[in-house]
Amino acid sequence: MLGKQPGRRARASRRRLNLTRTAVLAVVALSLSVVAGGFAYFLPAATLAWQATGQVVSIPSPTPSPSIEASPSPSPVIKVPGDFTVLLLGSDDDSKFEADHVLTQSMILVRVRPSSHSVVMLSIPRDLYVQFWRGGSGKIDGAYSYGQAGGAIATVERDFNVHIDEYIWIGLLGLVKLINAIGGIDVVTSNPVMDDFYPNDIFSQYPYDYSRVAVLPGPQHLDGLHAMQYVRSRHGDLQSDIGRSKRQQQVLLAIRQKAKQVTSSDVNAVAAALGGEIKTSISIDRVIDLIPLASTFDNPDAITQIVMVPPLFHGGGPGGSLTPNWPAILALVRQYFP
Amino acid sequence: MIARFFLALGLAAMMVVASFGTYVYLSGRQSKLTAAPQKPTAATPRAQAFKLPGTIYLAQSGALYSLSVGRFHQLTGEEGWTQPSVFPDGGYMLAVKQNYLYSDVYVLERFGAVHRKLTDNNAYGRLADISDRHWSFYPRLNPDGTQLFMSYDAPKFGYDVNLSVWAMPLGGSISQGRLWTISNDYTGGDVQALPVPGGGIIYTKYSYGPDGNLTGQLWFTNRPGSVGRALTDTDQDCSEPSLSPDGHLLAMICTYQKQVSHLVFASWINTNIGRLHELITDQVVAQPTWAPDGSGIAYLAPAVAAGPFQLWFLPKDAYDAPPPSPTPVPTPTPGGPYSGTLPTPTPAPPVAPPVIKPVQLTTNNGFDATSPIAWAL
Repeated sequence: MLGKQPGRRARASRRRLNLTRTAVLAVVALSLSVVAGGFAYFLPAATLAWQATGQVVSIPSPTPSPSIEASPSPSPVIKVPGDFTVLLLGSDDDSKFEADHVLTQSMILVRVRPSSHSVVMLSIPRDLYVQFWRGGSGKIDGAYSYGQAGGAIATVERDFNVHIDEYIWIGLLGLVKLINAIGGIDVVTSNPVMDDFYPNDIFSQYPYDYSRVAVLPGPQHLDGLHAMQYVRSRHGDLQSDIGRSKRQQQVLLAIRQKAKQVTSSDVNAVAAALGGEIKTSISIDRVIDLIPLASTFDNPDAITQIVMVPPLFHGGGPGGSLTPNWPAILALVRQYFP
Repeated sequence: MIARFFLALGLAAMMVVASFGTYVYLSGRQSKLTAAPQKPTAATPRAQAFKLPGTIYLAQSGALYSLSVGRFHQLTGEEGWTQPSVFPDGGYMLAVKQNYLYSDVYVLERFGAVHRKLTDNNAYGRLADISDRHWSFYPRLNPDGTQLFMSYDAPKFGYDVNLSVWAMPLGGSISQGRLWTISNDYTGGDVQALPVPGGGIIYTKYSYGPDGNLTGQLWFTNRPGSVGRALTDTDQDCSEPSLSPDGHLLAMICTYQKQVSHLVFASWINTNIGRLHELITDQVVAQPTWAPDGSGIAYLAPAVAAGPFQLWFLPKDAYDAPPPSPTPVPTPTPGGPYSGTLPTPTPAPPVAPPVIKPVQLTTNNGFDATSPIAWAL
């Protein structure tokens, strides 16, 4: 009789709920549920981030670069740990082209220097006549068309004698949607951009159709469509692609300015906008590391914008291309890009 | 056993509610970035706006609005309307109606009803080419109200499409128009013509600077087809001129070829411009416009970095500081002449002029910053 007492008490005690354990269980369950709800909400963005980032690029072995001596330059750039070079690629990806066999209308080398909170942007003219990585020559905008990102990177590395750490590719429609997803950008447009033969290939069922464009000058808030017209139009610019490159850099910096205000409530919209329109070799971990870094590049004077102009090249090359003055180009590049 | 069952049930229910609630909460949050600008009529401006004299006309999302006695009124539908300009006698206003292929100038009643169409820039017929259409922008009447000045994209040669300043009789057509300015090729051309009392126009001409950058410059010309003369330098990159009601001060914006836009003013005497003075350097200013009674300058600028453009007002005291106070003199000592050394008067501590800040009149709108503001009594 006496011997049964402890066993009964123990069983009774087990049947009673321990308050502390129950509370801990409830908190853990609640936390898990909140995380699960959040995960479900951010799943589309996470999926896109997973798909778009960390692209593995096979950079083909380039043919040996010609032994061109750079013109004497003030001093070559010194490699600083943490600094890196990104190749930005922007493409017409309308229905005139097969997927992933598009030309790059925009090619910008960007040197990011977290050590000094500064950035250098160098626009490469799309019509520059270069040697491709696989041999043969042509306008540099064809490198991506022949070899996708790897081909473009290998060609730029070979011809410009630089090392590229990462690349980001964005399609035209992606640019429009991205700017709309962040609520538009503020740009001080440099002049009236007038074009009677602007390609109407993004939203038209006739990809070879034309439209008229009139982007008025001065400070203004641009939506995606008008920002695209501003950066893409070149017929009304005496400098054609050079003028367009300057405008592209303005819009890139305006996007960066606006992106600083993106919050978690914008993530899904931005992800939806960029679905299938962006690819990068930057891994998701690195993207997460770079986001806080981006907001530290606040000083406009710490952003160096370079657009290649004559005498770095001259016209009259094959097929309307631009003939590079390699010694001068390499001297310029050596100042900023290792 | 029963207690454990209910505990498990309760926890399961809580988990479902919490996870679902989290999802719904996250989905329901409004992005501040993509929130569409509020219609000006949805909210009245702040109290300060009640001090503004007359009526201000602005454009947003293709509609024209008026601001009078502190209240906005929508004058037109969102149909591509922009760039209002009031007649010198205040009876009507000009405005541009734009679509994606061409734009035309109209005369509107001051409450927005279309009175008359002044241009016809569409192209008709099956063989009409896309480039047969035209743009008309920045319409203004000369002081006596007989001539319409505007930027019009003719002549054009293939890819070289530039706006030039044209003038035509108010009751006439473009075939009676005269080309006032010769725009530079492949620059976008000449815009924002501002007829000045005594004849002539101030306008913005775009050209390539020594560094190859396209840049804006204010020019003055007093007859059609003449070269005229530059009022500002290319490196100042100035545009959007506005003349004070007394005709002696010129407001403008200057960017110095950067992604900034400062509010600048200068004297304007006998068609000569004075030294440029910067009034606002910490905002992206657009479309400065003088109050018709000279009480200040209205302009557009974002209220937050990279945000849509709001209406602001800079009171006159900000640029027309009161004269300095007189130099202090020693106070005479009562009791007759004093032969000793007079005490050195203590100079009054320097009084810093009060800093007059611009007044933000709207908060959630998104005004068209390429559309000049019209302001009439």
